[in-house]
Amino acid sequence: MNASDNWSELSAYADLSALPPDIDRIEVWSKLTPEQKREERFKRWLAPDVEFISPEAEKLYKERTTRFIKAIKLEEPDRVPVLLPSGVFPAYYAGMNLQTVMYDYDKLKEAYLKFFNEFEMDSCTGPGLVLPGKVLEMTGHRLHKWPGHGLPDNISLYQYVEQEYVKADEYDAFLENPTDFWMRIFLPRVVGAFEPFRKLAPFSGMMGIPIGYYASLGNPDVEAAFKTMIEAGKETLKWLKVVAEVSRISLTVGIPNFRSGSISGAPYDMIADILRGTQGAIMDMFRQPDKLFEAMEKLTPMAIRSAMARADASGSPVVFMPLHKGNETFMSPKQFETFYWPSFRKVLMGLINEGLVPYPFAEGKYGARLEVIRDLPRGSTVWNFEEIDMARAKKVLGDSACIAGNVPVSMMHTGTPRDVKEHCRKLIETCAPGGGYILTGAAGMNQGNPDILRAMMEAAKEYGVYK
Amino acid sequence: MDNVKNWKELTPEQKREERYKKWLAAPGVKFKNKEAEKLYKERVTRFIKAIKMEESDRVPCMLPVGYFPAYYAGYDLKTVMYDYEKQRDAWMKFMDDFGDMDTFMGPGLVLPAPALEMIDHYMHQWPGHGVADNVAAYQFVEREYIKADEYDKLIQDPTDFWLRTFMPRQAGAFAPLARLPHLTAFVGIPLFYLASFADPGIQQAYRTMFKAGEEVMKWMDTISVVGREAIERGYAAFGGGFSGAPFDMLTDMCRGTTGIIMDMYRQPEKIHEAMERLIPIAIEEAVSLADAALAPLIIMPLHKGNKTFMSPKQFETFYWPSFKKLLLGMIDEGLVPLPFAEGDYIPRLEVIQDMPRASMVWYFEYMDMAKAKATVGRNNCIAGNLPVSTVIMGTPQDVKEGCRKLIKACAPGGGYILSASASVDTGKIENLRAMMDAAKEYGVYK
Repeated sequence: MNASDNWSELSAYADLSALPPDIDRIEVWSKLTPEQKREERFKRWLAPDVEFISPEAEKLYKERTTRFIKAIKLEEPDRVPVLLPSGVFPAYYAGMNLQTVMYDYDKLKEAYLKFFNEFEMDSCTGPGLVLPGKVLEMTGHRLHKWPGHGLPDNISLYQYVEQEYVKADEYDAFLENPTDFWMRIFLPRVVGAFEPFRKLAPFSGMMGIPIGYYASLGNPDVEAAFKTMIEAGKETLKWLKVVAEVSRISLTVGIPNFRSGSISGAPYDMIADILRGTQGAIMDMFRQPDKLFEAMEKLTPMAIRSAMARADASGSPVVFMPLHKGNETFMSPKQFETFYWPSFRKVLMGLINEGLVPYPFAEGKYGARLEVIRDLPRGSTVWNFEEIDMARAKKVLGDSACIAGNVPVSMMHTGTPRDVKEHCRKLIETCAPGGGYILTGAAGMNQGNPDILRAMMEAAKEYGVYK
Repeated sequence: MDNVKNWKELTPEQKREERYKKWLAAPGVKFKNKEAEKLYKERVTRFIKAIKMEESDRVPCMLPVGYFPAYYAGYDLKTVMYDYEKQRDAWMKFMDDFGDMDTFMGPGLVLPAPALEMIDHYMHQWPGHGVADNVAAYQFVEREYIKADEYDKLIQDPTDFWLRTFMPRQAGAFAPLARLPHLTAFVGIPLFYLASFADPGIQQAYRTMFKAGEEVMKWMDTISVVGREAIERGYAAFGGGFSGAPFDMLTDMCRGTTGIIMDMYRQPEKIHEAMERLIPIAIEEAVSLADAALAPLIIMPLHKGNKTFMSPKQFETFYWPSFKKLLLGMIDEGLVPLPFAEGDYIPRLEVIQDMPRASMVWYFEYMDMAKAKATVGRNNCIAGNLPVSTVIMGTPQDVKEGCRKLIKACAPGGGYILSASASVDTGKIENLRAMMDAAKEYGVYK
């Protein structure tokens, strides 16, 4: 199978298909319990539709995937699995940088394949978040700065550009007609090339023929914006093909993808990050909490559906969910329990009920949230922590969810491989007993000493074996 | 109406007055001569006074000119649907030949057939395309385009519903749009949705939409050339936009008559929720249309609320409340709704009379106009309803006599626009002249 030429398979990465054929084929899918659905997804994860390069690769793939599955199920695998916190390290390891691999997809592929060849790992961070620079550029994307575009060329990160893109009195526009809001209000503000969408007529099929809408398409600016959209679509597809190919190759050599192609998050973050900004959302908590709740309620099923569509298209059932504004520094425990957790839990439960495995990455300090977030079905979720007392995390969540973390990024950048190995030993001693632990970083290491990553792997093999 | 200071703070009456001022002033119009300008103002004033329930110099007249100019020029509907030049020439000829009339109906309802063909439009049949070449009307193709269990799509996200569910079923060229993702990527990095635009089928659908858009623009150029000419010659601008009743939008476009009747029994709350969703969208659409036009009148053809389709109780439960809300929403924006009540509306008079005074025009087809005057007509302007059969088949004398009776019944005190029960496509120009003559002869207020 040549993935790079298969439109329908690639389109799956783009959230195009509701359910992939093989999930559909399980006739009684809708009658299965969440646990049964998860088991079906685990089976799929264990048996990807690829040709392994060797029986050895196939054996390794199954061993590694099994290691993750057991950790998720709070069982003891053969040893603690390692998710290498490799960020965009493969680019730097190959002598390139983020900017290079954002613009040159061949180099992107070259870098990641080199990394797969030269490192041992159970899994790592894939290239799916190395955004396509050309697409961002041709569309005039304003939500991020990236190397060479608002940031110096040699920076290994993006800078998110938070603003009050949506005003306090615009909740109703979103609530009443989300796609209209997205197209005519939101996109013109965050994507330069789509500014002309402001001039689109309100779209309605009520009179049978949306003549006004067609006529607004006759505006040359609007037409140019759609043309850019299509060109950007082609470019995005080129990039997706490479990402899909890299991830397929990783499978053939025996490295499972831990994260699926799906990404989701907490409804509060969607509002605080993308729409209202941190400040705006905080004001809304006091001034118009009802609107905030309504909007989160509206986003919840959208978040579930979109995560599902893309996860269904992937082998792995793990849905990555970066969390932002719910940590200790942004809100009080009461605010967390009132504004953040209820709708977030609904998204989590929506995914869990479909047999998916939410993988929230709790950025920042999350210790004070542990007692609240424990309230989820056993063995359904993987929590990746950044700043936390892992002993307490193990104590509070240990009998409910798999935990992952949290070698400090500072240590990965400035410490010795020995420091890292020693830190990993302590983490394993604290978190591994009884299963339910994945060794990984507090965040990704984008640049640095390759031996740091090797030290993590060594530690898992040396200290993480279950007997 | 962004140019009006403090627009948002004005009362509905003040907004309407602002819109009347614009209608009268016709900003941007270069009249042919002083006389044309004078006539324009007289004619517009005639309509405004009628709407305001005041007596003007005489009863204004809205001639039932449908596709008549096409046939009068020796063409037919089919010809002018495909050939915009002939369309323009026909309407210009009619304007030249007819002379004095209060308003002039342009070819805005002659749909551009090339655009319909391009998109493989399913919802209408037109001459040469589903109906015979010489037919002077469209045939609406009513179907259950939307299934009984699809209300939630509309309720949750109307634009998404139109884009991904309705459009692909409404026109063959838009079938691929069903493959679009839900375009609300508020999670993570909004990029993946772009990839769907690389789908060749979706690209083709958009290319076709643009080609159709360009075609629609060509046709609209014709309409605006004719429309501008009419105004420059002093005919009153009239239509400011089109809309309809929420119940009809659901019935005609989505569920079909049979489907919606089932829903009235099986899932009435879904009908109500969906109609509720449509109201603000219809208001926004009407406002944006009227803002771009001179006149504030929103023409609203009504279908499934008449006597033959539903009981009084059903009308009061399903049809009227959401429709009234939409009317009031438009009125709040200073618009003047002009519902055209197709079919028998006599049993509806008591219900629909409950509207703010001098805020709208009710245009009736089948109606006891004396009764209308005594109910709806006490508060609001009414229009109608010389039978089109008389206009087509009668003598000029018959027409004049019919108009005289109508004027006698409806004109006293103001608040009446002389018009027919529908439009005519074929027939004698003398009968149209007879109508105009009747207004001038019998309709003068003293």
